Amino acid sequence: MSLVKGFTKGLWRENAVFRLLLGLCPALAVTTSAVNGLGMGFATTFVLVCSNIVVASLRKVIPARVRIPSFIVIIASFVTVVQLCMEAYFYDLHKALGIFIPLIVVNCLILGRAEAYASRNPLLPSVIDGAGMGLGFTLALFVLGSVRELFGVGTLFGVAVFGAGYQPLILLILPPGAFIVMGLLLAGMNRIEEFRK
Amino acid sequence: MKEMLRLVLVLTLIAAGAGLILSLVEGATRAPIAEQRRQETLRALSAVLPPTDNSPDEDTVSLITGKDRRGRTLTRTFFRGRQAGELSGVAFTVVAPDGYSGNIAIMVGIDPQGTVVGVEILNHAETPGLGDKITQPWFKQMFKGRSLKNADWRVKKDGGEFDQITGATISPRAVVGAIHDGLEFYKAHRDELLVPAGGDQP
Repeated sequence: MSLVKGFTKGLWRENAVFRLLLGLCPALAVTTSAVNGLGMGFATTFVLVCSNIVVASLRKVIPARVRIPSFIVIIASFVTVVQLCMEAYFYDLHKALGIFIPLIVVNCLILGRAEAYASRNPLLPSVIDGAGMGLGFTLALFVLGSVRELFGVGTLFGVAVFGAGYQPLILLILPPGAFIVMGLLLAGMNRIEEFRK
Repeated sequence: MKEMLRLVLVLTLIAAGAGLILSLVEGATRAPIAEQRRQETLRALSAVLPPTDNSPDEDTVSLITGKDRRGRTLTRTFFRGRQAGELSGVAFTVVAPDGYSGNIAIMVGIDPQGTVVGVEILNHAETPGLGDKITQPWFKQMFKGRSLKNADWRVKKDGGEFDQITGATISPRAVVGAIHDGLEFYKAHRDELLVPAGGDQP
């Protein structure tokens, strides 16, 4: 597979959230605003790229029987790095994302890429794979967050979009709204796929 | 056996490497994180206290408020604002345990007579779009100028005089109740708080 294809597959064809339905817990929980979606997406992308780098570099050293604990230690370390740096330099985002930053550890997308891709491929394709998958995840969270913020609060990036008369659909900000928006977006994407065939 | 040793060795090395990296990152971010937390406290203090010319976060008194379920003592820290050496206001944090989802931490600033100067919501997990309106200025402004003497500390729905939020009564009720408890505590312990500067060091 060419490197370009390896990158773009994560954006659409194998998009983690919309196509593989992986990593749904953070995707549904933190996407109450566009900023939160982007922040969570970039944090996950960073962890994914770093863990893919280390796993791919060490793939011949790590024995198969202890690979899962090894991957988890590697992933958990990078998550802690992200958490500390975010609290030190992006304090407001850290407060908004709260418990979901440490929970990146159990995002099956990251362990999934380490196990299914990085542990079997050389360094460069693994980096590309991680970046593509991570940005696809970011894109999905950004779209979810934007739709929910736009119609649920009437703002985008905190800036009012509709006039003062707009009555926000608060349901979209509440947890059930995450599922509803997600379902509508999935339906839309399936429709587009049907047209492409 | 040899295979077993290799498993142990590899996993140990990975964990050791991770530990090393984490200790370096923790060391590098410790000071900025402490500074961020201090800035957050200072922002809240300057929002709820009348004008001061000292550093209220360095002029504090801690009082014991009770014990938690495991028997550990709970303390509450009072930040004292001064102007030209005279006490101009006191700020303290109250926690409302009965919010809609989780605790609500509130910073309350009062003048020495016990009248509210300002309140600031520090932490909450209330529903976005409903209960989280407690962070909006109009809600926080309601408490300004109120004291134990001149206000009925209940939301309107319960017969008091503080506006609740349409669709979310639990959050405002919790906030009003917590501020009220804080004012009562201040009234009961006022003398202990007015000791000269110095107090305890944070």
